Amino acid sequence: MLQLVSDGITYLTAQSGESLFRLFWFVVIFELPRYTLGFLSVAAISLHWRRAPTEGRDLRRVTALIAGHNEEDSIERCVRSLHEQTRPPDEIIVVSDGSTDRMAERMRSLQNRGLIKEAHCTQVRAGKSAAVNLALSRATGDIVVVVDCDCTFDRRAIQKIIEPLADPRTAGVSGNVVVRNSSTNLLTEFQAIEYLISISQGRQAADLTGQVSCISGAFGAFRRSALLGVGGLDAGGGEDLDVTLSLRKAGWKVVFAADAVCYTDVPTTLGALVRQRFRWERDSVRLRYRKHRDMIDPFSSRFSWQEIAHEFDFLVFNIGSAVVFPIYIAWLFVTYGDLALVILFGAQAGMMLFDGVTFALSALVTPRVNALRLMPYVVGYSLFNGFVMRFVRLGAYLDEWILESSYQDTYVPQKVHRVRR
Amino acid sequence: MTTATASLFETRAESVPGRRILVAEDSPTTHEILKLLLQQRGHDVDIATDGEQALEALRHNRYDVALLDFHLPKMSGLDVAATIRHEAQDRPLPRLVAITADVEGLLADEQGCDNFDQVLPKPLDIYHVAQVVEGQDEIAEAERLAPAPRPAAPRIAEERRSPFEDLGYSLLTWPGDIDTGRLSARAMQASLGDPRFDGILIKTPVSVEDLAALWNAKALYMLPIIDLTGTLGRIADVDAPKLTALDRGQLDDAIRAAHDRRARLHRDLQFSTELGDQLIGKLYVSNRPLTPSYDPLVTWLVSYDVALTTPVIAREAEALCEHGLLRREFFDKFHVCPRCDSLRLHVREECVQCHSSNLEEEQYLHHFRCAYQGPEQEFRRGDQLICPKCRYELTHFGFDYDRPGSMVVCQACGHAASEPAVGFVCLDCGNHVGGDVAPIRDLYTYRLTDHGIGFAEHGRSLLGSASHALRFADLPLELVVALNAAAKRYNEAKEPFTLVNLFYRNEREVVAQHGARAFAKARDLFIENVRASLSEASLVVKGQSHDYALLAGVGPEQAKGDFDLFVVQAANTLSHDIGASFQVFGPEDFV
Repeated sequence: MLQLVSDGITYLTAQSGESLFRLFWFVVIFELPRYTLGFLSVAAISLHWRRAPTEGRDLRRVTALIAGHNEEDSIERCVRSLHEQTRPPDEIIVVSDGSTDRMAERMRSLQNRGLIKEAHCTQVRAGKSAAVNLALSRATGDIVVVVDCDCTFDRRAIQKIIEPLADPRTAGVSGNVVVRNSSTNLLTEFQAIEYLISISQGRQAADLTGQVSCISGAFGAFRRSALLGVGGLDAGGGEDLDVTLSLRKAGWKVVFAADAVCYTDVPTTLGALVRQRFRWERDSVRLRYRKHRDMIDPFSSRFSWQEIAHEFDFLVFNIGSAVVFPIYIAWLFVTYGDLALVILFGAQAGMMLFDGVTFALSALVTPRVNALRLMPYVVGYSLFNGFVMRFVRLGAYLDEWILESSYQDTYVPQKVHRVRR
Repeated sequence: MTTATASLFETRAESVPGRRILVAEDSPTTHEILKLLLQQRGHDVDIATDGEQALEALRHNRYDVALLDFHLPKMSGLDVAATIRHEAQDRPLPRLVAITADVEGLLADEQGCDNFDQVLPKPLDIYHVAQVVEGQDEIAEAERLAPAPRPAAPRIAEERRSPFEDLGYSLLTWPGDIDTGRLSARAMQASLGDPRFDGILIKTPVSVEDLAALWNAKALYMLPIIDLTGTLGRIADVDAPKLTALDRGQLDDAIRAAHDRRARLHRDLQFSTELGDQLIGKLYVSNRPLTPSYDPLVTWLVSYDVALTTPVIAREAEALCEHGLLRREFFDKFHVCPRCDSLRLHVREECVQCHSSNLEEEQYLHHFRCAYQGPEQEFRRGDQLICPKCRYELTHFGFDYDRPGSMVVCQACGHAASEPAVGFVCLDCGNHVGGDVAPIRDLYTYRLTDHGIGFAEHGRSLLGSASHALRFADLPLELVVALNAAAKRYNEAKEPFTLVNLFYRNEREVVAQHGARAFAKARDLFIENVRASLSEASLVVKGQSHDYALLAGVGPEQAKGDFDLFVVQAANTLSHDIGASFQVFGPEDFV
């Protein structure tokens, strides 16, 4: 074994530039550009290439919409955290979506204490989209902030998330989602790193190029007229990506507010995490390549060069990397036999290095997270992300492509699956 | 006790004008008492000691009131009254008030009834005298201004005689015997606890407030109320319109039972002027719990079956519960208007925001296909349901759409909620009060506890020494006069005095074991023994449930020391331990 490793190192160090590419083409094509983009964006952000601060026109009316199903434990904390804001919402509307617990009772109590303006309870579960739509029809604010019940907020979150809407071309702002329960176990530590890299830093990078393609369902702000213009949320899972794509299609700008921090709990077991990611990735595929395929169809009237970048990004770095990776491994073993293992480790070592640097840079531009504590977990994260999550994604894509499983998702009531587009 | 005493020891400061009064009375004690009392209340008093003097005085002076003893030397009070009335013709006359121990005798005399305006039964009650002299201003005034033929009250009653009056009962009638602010001689006799009276016959509609007259006239409150009008409802002990001819037995039973229980009611309660005591007495006599029933005509929505208003009953009964005399049983819970204390509240569903009751419930539809969820109205196009978002027609319930819930929309302010709030509007003052902030009041049925029954049967002695407080209203007149004289000497010459209040802790036990006579004998003997121990200058007076000694020239400190000894000595020779105890009161206690 040791012999193999030392042989491998000798072999790798003996390679020239061109032959290195021949060995590591996967990393060069599917990983290196991603990291490079990240480095560039961080550099840009650090060089204050930020959105010009618009004057705080927060005189406009803000409505917070909360839709939840069986959230008796978290609704009060969520509402209180909204009242703690430097810019508290002018009204809060809560919809209990067919809850079977005591959520309705808690809402009544909140209403009696004047903490929320309207409380609506449906007896039958209709799904998050329908619940938000119901709340939206009651909202009177110029801006609606849609929040998840299990989220809590940084004191400046609302103030920061509505700031970009001063620009009349902007219709939606995505909040920055940070993991609240990162110290629970190894899995949540990894997810904390992942959120930091992919949301806090990743969306910031996307924002620089006007490529924000998903306003997190957990925390997003919308211009109400624009949201009503696209008919509110549509049925089915992934409604946050769905509505963002719809807004972009309608010509609106969508941006990311890194300072608008909301905290959420992530799955603590591998099973739950895998189920969650299957749902997300399946919905992404369904929405991008089925429902909104006209956006990448050059012959469609809705085709726009603006959208090509993020669509390409998703296609290459998400789907491409997941699909090609097994092929790359197979190719390695076929071509190099035992040496493939060493090459693979070499590749992984390089990616670890990149991940470490990316993480450090992400931490640099995200002040709210205790990144120092997460640092030791980066090595594990790199492996976990590179091997486990990549295969999870692959599984999800295949599942959706072949079985169209997103149509059986329990996250959406069955009656809705049956009929939605 | 100081307030009660003060009102008698001080001159009357209220707005009743001083009256000129003639007192014709041969007993020096009685006229002395009356003079003292009435002068202190600011009236001018002349005394006549026989009938001729009285007639002379009436001929030559103008009086507002003349109190004439029925039995006077030389010329009876009746003769004086008849003569002066005859002589006066149309000249204004004072009110002629007879004082007699024999009210029935006077009533039997046709002339007697006609010649006197009023009868005061003996023994005299000082408050009653004051009431008669002062309390009839309006009537006196009216009669002076327009001397009309005096209404012959008994005759009017006779014209509208009810069959109930011919059943052989001795009933007081309303009006006639009792009326607001006026009692006939018979009623007054009954108010002294005369057991010959059977009940009160209500012949014209009266309100609960009118019936306050019964509670202000001592023992009258105990008499069963027989209501001919049917307007008193459950307040009446016998609701006559509901009786049939066959129910005669029921009436007999009711009256007999009331008699029995009145006889067993202790004197303390029979003659108490405290409403709480009277309430216990009434419950004891009527032998039924104090029962509430719904009554939309009163602001408290509930009436009790006793002739008092609900707030008064609730207040008194709660106090009695605290003393353990009554026990309560839950009846109902009410919301109260915090502004006017009315319980007549209109309950309604209303807007959480603006309290309007103009609410409409809207069901909302959920269109599965596009996730639009909103009020049904938005979907309605004639008989079609069209989704306002995607323009699809909803045709298949449960497959295209369903109705997940409803919201209540305020037509006044547009606010919507999944459930309306509950609120109240006060029907009496129009005040609005939210359902969750309206104060709550519980009303109860009250029953006498064993302790309450004991109190009814054995009086104040049962309540222990704490309630042996000196009650001025209980003091015998003789003592009041002597006390007054002592107070005067104290004010002028600083001569001290002490009032000793004697009471008997074991009265109940002794009565229960050996009978009331044995107790009375022991008590008499005890008093005699005490009297023998005291000096000539001291006065020992028997009261109703307490006895009193007034020691002149001795301060309370010394008296207490002396009495500790006297009481032990006096009790030594008794065959039963009556538990004699005492309290002392010095001049300072009467300031």
